[in-house]
Amino acid sequence: MSTAVNVWRFVWTCWKLNLAGAMEFRLSFLLTAGMMFVNNTVWIFFWGIFFHRFPVINGWEVRDVMMMWAVSAGGVGLMNVLFGHANRLATLIATGQLDAYLVQPKPVLLHVLVSRMSVAAIGDCLFSLVLFIIFGDLTPDGMAKFVSALVIATLIFLFFTLIVHSLAFYIGNAEGLSFQFYNGLLAFSTYPTDIFHGWGRVMLFTVIPAGFISYLPIGLLREIQLSYLLAAIGAALALTAGGCCFFYRGLRRYSSGSMMAMRM
Amino acid sequence: MHGVRQRSTEGGRRGSRLAKLLKYAAVGKVTIRNHLAYVTDFFIRSIFLIIILYIFIQLWNTTFRGEGTELIAGYSFEQIIWYLIFAESFVIACPSLSTKIEEEVKSGDIGYKLARPVSYLWFHYAGYMSEVFIRMPINLAVGGMLGILVLGPPGFGWGWPGFLLVSVGAFTINFLLNMMLALCAFWVEETRGLEFVYHKFLFTVGGMLMPLELFPQVLQKVCAWLPFQAIVYFAARTAVSFDAEAMWRMLGTQAFWIAGLGAALMFIYRKGVSKLHVNGG
Repeated sequence: MSTAVNVWRFVWTCWKLNLAGAMEFRLSFLLTAGMMFVNNTVWIFFWGIFFHRFPVINGWEVRDVMMMWAVSAGGVGLMNVLFGHANRLATLIATGQLDAYLVQPKPVLLHVLVSRMSVAAIGDCLFSLVLFIIFGDLTPDGMAKFVSALVIATLIFLFFTLIVHSLAFYIGNAEGLSFQFYNGLLAFSTYPTDIFHGWGRVMLFTVIPAGFISYLPIGLLREIQLSYLLAAIGAALALTAGGCCFFYRGLRRYSSGSMMAMRM
Repeated sequence: MHGVRQRSTEGGRRGSRLAKLLKYAAVGKVTIRNHLAYVTDFFIRSIFLIIILYIFIQLWNTTFRGEGTELIAGYSFEQIIWYLIFAESFVIACPSLSTKIEEEVKSGDIGYKLARPVSYLWFHYAGYMSEVFIRMPINLAVGGMLGILVLGPPGFGWGWPGFLLVSVGAFTINFLLNMMLALCAFWVEETRGLEFVYHKFLFTVGGMLMPLELFPQVLQKVCAWLPFQAIVYFAARTAVSFDAEAMWRMLGTQAFWIAGLGAALMFIYRKGVSKLHVNGG
């Protein structure tokens, strides 16, 4: 019990310090987060015009698409804010920068993941919140559902990213490959699941598990579809367990870069 | 005697103009050679283009089926997809001028660039045009492969040369607008944020994500007064729905914007250069 409390205290301290570091340059912080907000707004503009012209697409309405954006942007935002190094892991592995984490008495994976915060991703989180306030169900039940959707989305984003970046342990330079996979997951999770058919749809629930994220507004927020929800939770847990195993298995193959580094 | 002197002065002017043209052509040639070395890299980067186009094909396929019509806002399914292939290939081909100029200002490289016997703006324009005309055909080849696989070979006829012609004006306007923002580096340290926001205008009111005919009427009227439509929308529309009369109108609109924005760019450049202090060397 005391170990868990210690780990939690450590993670909390890392997050606090990351945020303090980001806030050191206030203007830059606001600009970076603001730009991500603007970036996401473009897609809201696109979908706004799209649904103005075509009110229903295979059962999806504008509210569902907005909530899909709230869940996806929130999920990827939380991943990059709280576990900001997930998206840089391939580089850390390929350049031998894990050494500094290996010698410290902390869980290696957790330590690596929480030691960076993406400032831009704070814009994603704010964007998600704004969309939820505008289009979401603001009752306690609705809020609970939204938080659950965010947790599922964050876990899928985080551990899928971890797996593709951990490929660097096995194939060396995996930056390009992991970048493409990550972008693929991100792109597919921001379009209605029901526009995909055949092999495309199969792929969304297997190779690139974006379907579990993009269907959350229908299968959880609009009404709970138990079979889908259990599958989404199962996928999130399987990715979590698989991701951790894949990372630690790969870590055994890691060879030090004999790099001198100091973490402050 | 006077006539001979006048003729020789005219000949000299023509020679100097030709020499200038050759100089910028050489800049373009060097840029092309530099970028040809990274063709494989460009192809790999185009993978994302395939993903996006695949998603849009699914989206519009579902939309057309849902609507049950052959045409939406005058576009068939094939035309919309090819429009997006051209538009995406066009936008992805544009390099970031803000990154370049910002680096030049921060590193002090600009001191050397300004001292060269070439115009700073024409130098960047020659490099920019060469780069986009290497990158765009590669993007088009990648996106076109997907288009041919899904829709079969397109029959655009005059749309191809029309697209090429309108592209020259479109890239020029994009260069002028982008350069105006990039030159803000003479006053402020970070200009990439401005460029980022500019790109978002290009994506939306510029018609990259969908043809402007799909916009609500009020928004279409607003877009008609903005320079953004003369970039992606004009080029992609000419390719997929060629109409000679409309193309000449588009070229006229582009000429108007090139003249206006060109003058504005010169003004900003002169103001900026007079303000610039380069230390060290």
